[in-house]
Amino acid sequence: MPLETPARIARELARRGYNAEREAVTLLAGAVDPATALDAAVEAAPDDALRLTTDHVRSALASPDGSPSDAGASSTAPDTSSVDTSTSAAGGDSSAHPPTDAPHTTVSTPAENPTNQSQSTGTPVETKGSQKGADSGRQPEPVTVAGDVTGRSTGTGEYGDFVSVFRDRYEKLSGQLRGRVNHRPATAIADMPGGSDVAMIGLVNEIRSSASGHWIVELEDTTGTFPFMITKDRDITDLVEELLLDECLAVEGTLSDDAGIAFVDALYFPDVPRTYRPNTADRHVQAALISDVHVGSQEFMADAWNRFADWLHTEEASAVEYLLLAGDMVEGVGVYPDQDEELDIVDIYDQYERFSEHLKAVPGDIEIVMIPGNHDAVRLAEPQPAFDEELRDIMTAHDARIVGNPSTVTVEGVSVLMYHGVSLDEVIAELPEEKASYDHPHRAMYHLLKKRHVAPKYGGHLRLAPEEEDYLVIEDVPDIFHTGHVHKLGYGKYHNVLAVNSGCWQAQTAFQKSVNIDPDAGFAPIVDLDTLDLTVRKFA
Amino acid sequence: MTPDDERYFERMEHRLDEAFDRAKRAKERGADPRPEVEIPVARDMADRVENILGIDGVAERVRELDGKMSREEAALALVTDFVEGTVGDYETDAGKIEGAVRTAVALLTEGVVAAPIEGIDRVELLDNDDGSQFVNVYYAGPIRSAGGTAQALSVLVADYARSLLGIEEFTPRDDEIERYAEEISLYDAETGLQYTPKDKETKFIAEHMPIMLDGEATGDEEVSGFRDLERVDTNAARGGMCLVLAEGIALKAPKIQRYTRDLEEVEWPWLQDLIDGTIGEDDGGEADEADAGGDDEGDAEADSDDEAETGPPRVDPSAKYLRDLIAGRPVFGHPSESGGFRLRYGRARNHGFATAGVHPATMHLVDDFLATGTQIKTERPGKAAGVVPVDTIEGPTVRLANGEVRRIDDPAEALKVRNGVEAILDLGEYLVNYGEFVENNHPLAPASYTVEWWEQEFEATAADVQALRDDPRVDLADPTAATAVEWATEYDCPLHPKYTYLWHDVSVDEFETLATAAARGEPRTVESDGGHGMVRPKDGSGGEVLVIERTERLRRTLETLLVEHVATDEGIRIPDWEPLARSLGLTPSLDRTWTADDLSTAAREYDDGDNAIRAVDEVAPFTVRERAPTRIGNRMGRPEKSERRDLSPAVHTLYPIGEAGGSQRDVGAAAGARTDEGKGVVNVEVGRRACGDCGATTHRTRCPACGSHTEPVYECGSCERLVEPDESGRVHCERCDRDVTSVEWQQLDVGARYREALDGVGEREAAFDILKGVKGLTSANKTPEPMEKGVLRAKHGVSAFKDGTVRYDMTDLPVTSVRPEELDVTAEDFRELGYETDIDGDPLRFDDQLVELKVQDIVLSDGAAEHLLKTADFVDDLLTEFYDLPAFYEVTEREDLIGELVFGMAPHTSAAVVGRVVGFTSASVGYAHPYFHAAKRRNCDGDEDCVMLLMDGLLNFSQEYLPDQRGGRMDAPLVMSSRIDPTEIDDEAHNVDVVRQYPTEFYEATREMADPEDVAIEIAEESLETEGEYHGFDHTHDTSNIALGPDLSAYKTLGSMMEKMDAQLNLARKLRAVDETDVAERVIEYHFLPDLIGNLRAFSRQETRCLDCGESYRRMPLSGDCRECGGRVNLTVHEGSVNKYMDTAIEVADEFGCRPYTKQRLEVLEKSLESVFQDDHNKPSRLDDFM
Repeated sequence: MPLETPARIARELARRGYNAEREAVTLLAGAVDPATALDAAVEAAPDDALRLTTDHVRSALASPDGSPSDAGASSTAPDTSSVDTSTSAAGGDSSAHPPTDAPHTTVSTPAENPTNQSQSTGTPVETKGSQKGADSGRQPEPVTVAGDVTGRSTGTGEYGDFVSVFRDRYEKLSGQLRGRVNHRPATAIADMPGGSDVAMIGLVNEIRSSASGHWIVELEDTTGTFPFMITKDRDITDLVEELLLDECLAVEGTLSDDAGIAFVDALYFPDVPRTYRPNTADRHVQAALISDVHVGSQEFMADAWNRFADWLHTEEASAVEYLLLAGDMVEGVGVYPDQDEELDIVDIYDQYERFSEHLKAVPGDIEIVMIPGNHDAVRLAEPQPAFDEELRDIMTAHDARIVGNPSTVTVEGVSVLMYHGVSLDEVIAELPEEKASYDHPHRAMYHLLKKRHVAPKYGGHLRLAPEEEDYLVIEDVPDIFHTGHVHKLGYGKYHNVLAVNSGCWQAQTAFQKSVNIDPDAGFAPIVDLDTLDLTVRKFA
Repeated sequence: MTPDDERYFERMEHRLDEAFDRAKRAKERGADPRPEVEIPVARDMADRVENILGIDGVAERVRELDGKMSREEAALALVTDFVEGTVGDYETDAGKIEGAVRTAVALLTEGVVAAPIEGIDRVELLDNDDGSQFVNVYYAGPIRSAGGTAQALSVLVADYARSLLGIEEFTPRDDEIERYAEEISLYDAETGLQYTPKDKETKFIAEHMPIMLDGEATGDEEVSGFRDLERVDTNAARGGMCLVLAEGIALKAPKIQRYTRDLEEVEWPWLQDLIDGTIGEDDGGEADEADAGGDDEGDAEADSDDEAETGPPRVDPSAKYLRDLIAGRPVFGHPSESGGFRLRYGRARNHGFATAGVHPATMHLVDDFLATGTQIKTERPGKAAGVVPVDTIEGPTVRLANGEVRRIDDPAEALKVRNGVEAILDLGEYLVNYGEFVENNHPLAPASYTVEWWEQEFEATAADVQALRDDPRVDLADPTAATAVEWATEYDCPLHPKYTYLWHDVSVDEFETLATAAARGEPRTVESDGGHGMVRPKDGSGGEVLVIERTERLRRTLETLLVEHVATDEGIRIPDWEPLARSLGLTPSLDRTWTADDLSTAAREYDDGDNAIRAVDEVAPFTVRERAPTRIGNRMGRPEKSERRDLSPAVHTLYPIGEAGGSQRDVGAAAGARTDEGKGVVNVEVGRRACGDCGATTHRTRCPACGSHTEPVYECGSCERLVEPDESGRVHCERCDRDVTSVEWQQLDVGARYREALDGVGEREAAFDILKGVKGLTSANKTPEPMEKGVLRAKHGVSAFKDGTVRYDMTDLPVTSVRPEELDVTAEDFRELGYETDIDGDPLRFDDQLVELKVQDIVLSDGAAEHLLKTADFVDDLLTEFYDLPAFYEVTEREDLIGELVFGMAPHTSAAVVGRVVGFTSASVGYAHPYFHAAKRRNCDGDEDCVMLLMDGLLNFSQEYLPDQRGGRMDAPLVMSSRIDPTEIDDEAHNVDVVRQYPTEFYEATREMADPEDVAIEIAEESLETEGEYHGFDHTHDTSNIALGPDLSAYKTLGSMMEKMDAQLNLARKLRAVDETDVAERVIEYHFLPDLIGNLRAFSRQETRCLDCGESYRRMPLSGDCRECGGRVNLTVHEGSVNKYMDTAIEVADEFGCRPYTKQRLEVLEKSLESVFQDDHNKPSRLDDFM
């Protein structure tokens, strides 16, 4: 195998059982004959070493049979010309279509990323490559994980489990709303005299329109239900079309004369405070947010992935210390009828093996966190626990952090809510086009943030695994909300929370073609954890 | 029609008149919703059309037009009448169009199916964006029963009417066009279409369609893209519209074009593009794919031309019938696989019209899974067929545990050896009639070499076949080995089929090996063989058996060839070996006449060396034909049916009792129940009626005060004015612009009514176990039935269908000639029924003479006879006790039913056909003339429908009982046909062939895979509108009884699904033509996995229900308890129902070596189930935990 790129070198090392420091790989790539150099370096490494270090490579290159280290050999510098970047300041509500919407340059370093300058030596990429030019290895901090169901799934599929999960949802979310209205229980409201002012916090039980075009929203709390009417002339009527069943709401209004229904004056979502101040890292460090790799599919874009992995080995990517994967590592088996006919790798374990191989191309010093998606070999019902032992064993090489879907992962002080995104389909189907669509998936994410729940509607597309508590509630406001699933790239900020729906690494499938979905494939959104600015890089 | 036929119909109509008179007198008592018989007699199609539509004057006009033009042209001609107002009484343009469209559909479906009334909801005028008006036709699901042509014509008729009325064309909006495309794809995915137009085609049609096609939602799945459109009132797929657009317009474009050409006012030039198939061509690939998919047969023909020299003519295998295989329904043969059913051409007397003739021994040997009437899904020529027993074809060949390979032609023998069967090497012959190929437009498949073909070839030689036929010592069908060889060599005739083996299924290699082994073999006389083996030569005790070396390969070769033999320890013993030896190119003294070098390259490489027929041809001293070139794979579809039709729960009386009778709807319990209203009083919705004589108001159909008939009272719910129904029966309040019904809440004293009913018919409660009513009524005016009828039904153990009739369901099968004996009747009975001669014209004297069946005569299953007896008793009681009239039937045993009339009535139709009972059969099917089934618009591929006793229908049916919902008027006898006109039935029946022998040319044509239309064999069509149109149905094959084989399929006798599946897999192992791994794989793939996945999905989004009051909740209440009654709420889908197949599926996958892909899908699912249903903290400890 020709070893002209760092990623290939990394893969080759992985094949031989080594993780490698990024510098070590760069050094090998810079050698005149990387293959021989690699052999020598492996030879030089002690038998018990798991990680090939710069020292090993240096000693190998220095030895007579190794190639002399040809410092500054620009001709062998990693070819980054295929890496396009789209410039974007994440903050606007914009959907990224780099090839069309955004100007993109072949400049390797984004201009609006000045902090990067301090990290790198400032030399153009063409001239770097010497061991001296790359002195700083990545030093990611350990991440912390919260809200992960893995190992804590106590539900046994009983009726009581279902009741618990919805009660927990109500308790958690009504807690968020208590301060805003003076909640009265449904049964108490039913006993109040007509004309009283009332307020109630409840889960949406039913939404229907009356014959005259008004809306009736039935709310439920632990005592019962009460109907609220939103008359069609009110400006809050617009909000009705945003409502999903089973989300938690607070309303204020006036009881009708016969006290049978209340007219709504105001309606509150748990929401993210407008003034929310997100946490940021106290150093310049970046995270790549990707999802939907779909290894095993005939449409998996191995070349794009390799370019991405190669790029991670470049100086330009040296600040990328975290890789956060939001599900669908592999294409899976039996996800849809006759899927085997469209699989490149039919064996599910082989799919994970191959995925693991692809993961090894990622520099060993990048911290990886992954959650499962609906194509992965875990239960479909949400919350989804992380991969079981058998699959973890397959993916040990890169010592990735494997957690459940959803999970909140804190990296460098920045909390990232990772959720695969199955509910986005539902939100997009239920809400009007301008509020959520496949072309603007992040807008659908905004609604989830607003409802403080990643998948509120029960009984539709969502499959719910009943647990003691509702892991799908967004209890604490995250700094970044990261989803995938719909294979479309979109990002923006909602009340200062960065919402990113990353694209995918799978080209258009026959199914997508039939329903006219054009996926955004081969993009890697890179977020600066110190500023929460986002840069999208294209590798396809 | 012959005078004889005329007498037959008159006789039937006479009995019908008798019944009618009696029923009329009964109805005049006024106790029923209407004081007249509600099933009008239609003497012809025009009558049926008028009756079904309820538009006066249509029948007369149809009769005028019918003689002059085709039915399609008549439908178009009628449009003018509607537009001009000479037919129908419509004030609005929309009404006129609606009338014309309905009439057209009714005409094209011969006034039988419910599509014209149920499939077209309405026609309305809506506004285009430019302010002009356009026509919108609103279809509903039941339009399906009209079929593609009528669907397409309905659109054309609407457009024609539109242009005559000067209404503008429909201008679709872009999003509406896109919506059509998305919706058709959705409907296809959800429900499936026979033909799915490509998106471009759909859009093209939508863009050019001059009227709007709309309809009501028929499914729950919604489109995701083009939602909430202003002029489309649903986001779900509109099934009726999808059918009309896809299977109507897109599929039948050429047919429509034929009519648009003749109409000046209608121009659909765009049809040409559809027909040319140029729409969507530019994404070429897809179009090609579609072509390739639909054109298997065409390819087969092409192949035969190219490869005439290198391989035999063969039809391409097709695996479509294996799709959606489910547990418990076995596969009998993989596509065209050696060992499967061998195609034999011919029509048995109980055959044709989508049926397959199978030997009864085969039925038993496939562990009784096949019985008379069992439906099979088949590889060709159609998609499905009903199984009929035919014992004049060859039975199956089996290998027994003692090493013997034997063909079994006797069902009794099959039962005897069944336990010792190791393998079923061959399923025997499979009789398909020529007409099936015509009907399915399937190229003829190469014919098996059979006696009827051989005999014609033998006659063409110098042999005096007639002399041989007359010779009592010679059996042309079953000659001795020596005779067969003699005929073949002496007269230069192909070897007799009895000794023609399946050389085409063995390779040239295997052929040579067998020849070598046979040459080394040793003939032994039976006396000196030490008593080994059961197989003895058939030509007398003095013969020899050939003993050859025993190797697995030789055994397999002989088994493939279907050479009967016994494998013993010392060798394989073959009786009657001479024809075999000669076919192998050996002399009678077993000297080999050839060496390997003598075989030509052509013979050696024929079909890549996998087919030894050419080699045999070269070395044998006579011609050897292909014994079984066409194998037909199939699998079980539905089991046969012969069951009473009961609603669930069964209903004795259509009388509402609310919740008072409990879940059993027990009227007795309701009568004594203490409710809020008082003891035995329930609050229910019923129609308000008034007595015309004394003015009393009641819910009852007969005035409780004075005994007169009552009429419904329609009071407008908003203005409280009384409204009268208009001519068409609609009740509409003009002032409030709303439809009005007579329904109101009333308090009924069920207790008093119950006691009154018992007294009225002189019965006591002890006369029956339980009298079941209904919770509420679903008809428009909620008219209850007189409870007396229910009391008598309960007494006689029969129950009512939604329309008040008592029904019995049976699988349809055809029969054209019968023996009185097999129907458990006598020749005398038959003579009394008007049968005078047998099929050869000889006087009918003996019970076993074969008689051609008359078109409206039917044979009841034993169960049906028993049920009709009960119904007759019920009807007689009803007449005497309730209507105070004399009894009509007075039956004591089932023989008394002979000659009585019944109604045959199929689902999706609205017209009953009068039939006459002529006998009984133990098979669980309803045998009748193919024309009778076709008159109900059924064929016999597993379809089932019902019979009702004539008088029961006349007395108890009322339109007033029919549910007021889509489809409510389907499967109800809105009209009856008293005599069948062969030109007015489903024309599929015209394709039944009616000859006694197929000519040699036919067999030769099959080897060319000719178009069936190019062969001259007489089919029923040819006698239409001649004097002989009611008879002359001859057949090529007899069967000793129409009820051979098991009476019930094992599918029905085996208990649980698991038992059925075990039996299915066990059978798969035994059958040589079946790949058991594939069966296991498919059962998992199509049954277990969807079930597991579906149930798991259902679990995780389920509703819950209160155990106490039954209230259901979309989501679990936060309170945990029922919000209505405070009772206990529980899940509707439990763990047990989710994972019931998990362990079995995994076991089967392991045991049958399924693909890793399948196993892994199961593994992933199993983990999912564990994850959902197991507490992580309580997981069983793993060894790792202690390490």
